Amino acid sequence: MPNIRVLRDIKARELVRANEVARRAYLYVARNQSLPPQVRHQAQLQLNTFSRYTRPTTVKNRCIETGRGRGIIGEFGLCRFQFRQKALRGELNGVQKASW
Amino acid sequence: MAAPVRLAALTQLRCAVFQTSYNPTSARTGAKYLRARLRGPAMNSYYPQTLDLSQIAREFPELDIVNPDEEQRFQDVEDKKKRGKGKPKKARDAAQGRRQSRKK
Repeated sequence: MPNIRVLRDIKARELVRANEVARRAYLYVARNQSLPPQVRHQAQLQLNTFSRYTRPTTVKNRCIETGRGRGIIGEFGLCRFQFRQKALRGELNGVQKASW
Repeated sequence: MAAPVRLAALTQLRCAVFQTSYNPTSARTGAKYLRARLRGPAMNSYYPQTLDLSQIAREFPELDIVNPDEEQRFQDVEDKKKRGKGKPKKARDAAQGRRQSRKK
């Protein structure tokens, strides 16, 4: 069972996916300098009404085994310790301990 | 050295040929927000699917699925109650509330 931080992150990812198109449309209007300032301002106000979890920057890659938020090795989605353990057990294809 | 007017005309012609938008003042059009690919689907598939027993039990109550983790939790709560570590009693009225008395 994933911990609460992972559950929150899953929720954020779901909300980002659900609201992405609408947010992009408002962003387009708000950032378009050829539109009247009132319209752009209204679009910006609409953008501010979205939940914080609809912003893609709130999504954080966490360890898919333990939910740890730091020291994630992106290619495998694992934190450094889980990565080491799995690599030593030979569960990660193409990864081997350096030796020279 | 070509005149600026001639250079602008050249740029305009180039835009017409290669079907790009002519924007000599570099005004922001917001087009990059429409052009960028959607990131949501890739973001959503980051965590692998996990088996959620309690959700299955909720959807199919006729199957009588027992979630061992949940059973263990109920057992732990019972054990704690026996040792006097259960949840605190609710205050009858606002005057009895611990939070009320602490604020003053």
